[in-house]
Amino acid sequence: MSNVILKQADGTPVIGLIGRIDSNNAPAVEAEIQQALGSTERDELVIDAEELEYISSAGLRVILHLRKTHKELSIINVKPEVYEVLDMTGFTEMMPVRKAYRQVSIEGCEVIGKGANGTLYRIDKDNVVKVYHDADALEDIQHERETARLALVLGIPTAISYDVVRVGDSYGSVFEFLNARSFSKLIAEEPDKLDWCVQEYVELLKKIHDTRVKKGALPDMRDTALGWAKFMKDYLPEAYGDKLLRLFEAVPEDLHMIHGDYHTKNLVLQNDEVLLIDMDTLAVGNRIFELGSMFNAYIGFSEMDHEEVKRFQGFDQETANVFWRKSLELYLGTTDEEKIREVEDKARIVGYTRMIRRSIRRHGLEIEAKRIEIDHWKAELMDLLDRYDTLLFSVNELTVEAKKENLQQVIDFVDERLEKTECPMKAEMQIDMAVEEIFVNIASYAYANEDRIGKAVIRVETLEDPLRVVLTFMDNGMPYDPLAKEDPDVTLSADQREIGGLGIFLVKNTMDDVAYEYKDGKNILTIRKNL
Amino acid sequence: MKIKKSQNESQLIIALEGRLDTLTAPQLEAELNASLDEIAELVFDFKDLEYISSAGLRVLLSAHKAMAKKGSMKVTNVREEVMEVFELTGFSDILTIE
Repeated sequence: MSNVILKQADGTPVIGLIGRIDSNNAPAVEAEIQQALGSTERDELVIDAEELEYISSAGLRVILHLRKTHKELSIINVKPEVYEVLDMTGFTEMMPVRKAYRQVSIEGCEVIGKGANGTLYRIDKDNVVKVYHDADALEDIQHERETARLALVLGIPTAISYDVVRVGDSYGSVFEFLNARSFSKLIAEEPDKLDWCVQEYVELLKKIHDTRVKKGALPDMRDTALGWAKFMKDYLPEAYGDKLLRLFEAVPEDLHMIHGDYHTKNLVLQNDEVLLIDMDTLAVGNRIFELGSMFNAYIGFSEMDHEEVKRFQGFDQETANVFWRKSLELYLGTTDEEKIREVEDKARIVGYTRMIRRSIRRHGLEIEAKRIEIDHWKAELMDLLDRYDTLLFSVNELTVEAKKENLQQVIDFVDERLEKTECPMKAEMQIDMAVEEIFVNIASYAYANEDRIGKAVIRVETLEDPLRVVLTFMDNGMPYDPLAKEDPDVTLSADQREIGGLGIFLVKNTMDDVAYEYKDGKNILTIRKNL
Repeated sequence: MKIKKSQNESQLIIALEGRLDTLTAPQLEAELNASLDEIAELVFDFKDLEYISSAGLRVLLSAHKAMAKKGSMKVTNVREEVMEVFELTGFSDILTIE
């Protein structure tokens, strides 16, 4: 019986090895392989070890000889016993060696979930297998495993598949069975948990968006999104298509992580732990891309048919609206209507772009109901394009009513951002003090002559080389330069001292730079503290 | 902020814990307005005071002025962060700090 079979001759040659290969038959096996390969001069060669039972050092030398002429040699479908030998002899480090996939049967197994790219079966008490719809999903599976591992290492809690298996002709990944409920289920079953879910949801979202990833480790969402914008050019009036592409192109490269499919079905609560699942869409990019897909999950997809969100998330449209709104408020750290509207609108530009393209690619333009939907999205999108000139928005900016009661909110907002830099305790206290003095000034005087309570905007920027924090305070009140006031004489005795005027003096003396300007109807006060 | 009072005849000791800022200064001001009538010696214990802003300084200054007419006021156990603010604003020369 021959130990060698040529499994594939076209393209990359695949040689199957069968049975035992040891010092008795190694020379013959080598000759057979050479004969099978003929005069091919390709670098690639695949050894299929599916039926290889045993290999001795003489057999291993045959592989080494082959690798001299085929530098890109790899071994696949390796049984555990053979893998052990390859591992011990260091072969697994010299060349790609892939284990044989265990066969798993899902006959009679309970279906516990269905996603966009696979179905989840419970195979026994402790394990579930996600069977991928696409038979060639091996690359996707490996991609998802790698991204999940990367996320976990960077501190994002997630479930990782621990094995890849064959399920019939498909591939599957095996996960530990989580006795977990998704946030969607939780909200549907226990509506009073909604606020708690919003908190956890946004906290994890912020964590993801604050995580920096090494360049190249994850796909760049910007590239994908540019693809959508280019696609849209054929379906929008020229001026709108051009503007859409311009807006997408103007989004800068960003190496912060985004999940890409961040909605309540992909967050699960196990015991007391919140886990993120479905990591195959993990990418890097500007946060607006994330918000675009979040908008779709709660509002966009079900805009024309509110039942859609019920089918997808399990809770009704009203709940979805509330969840989306509260999440945005918490994420942006504001309840300011204008700011929230602005960010939501920018998310809608991304969301509609994505949905229109998706619908056209899936259904074409032949189905009446789908066409109506597309026309609606298009009209909305064009209206938005008339009103916005950028997709960018700042999360380092807080807008609040200028009243003293909001001081704590302002200080919390600033401190949260300072804690992301390596801001020493002392500097943080001095900055807190400056924030208090300036904000209280605005709250007390800026709108003193008006009936309404006006707004104050506080922006926090951290800049490098040298490391410094720049805070900008803006209000629309009457023009007032607090720096113009003369400094109090700090050498005077108590009787001569005036009560007041100390606040700005303290700011000037603890910060490295303080500047004021009145521009476009706004008081703008900027302070800088070097760290 | 927490305010702890202990009175011994005409001596009043006020211990502050936390932050003396725009939001909490009115609390201290009200407390002082209600308590100083019979007092000749006012002592602040700032062991647990972490932060002071100009609103807090203003309350201290008016207390200082009020006590100067009828007795004395001193500030004790001042932390470094708070001391820096006193020094910067000249309060270290005005207040009796121990």
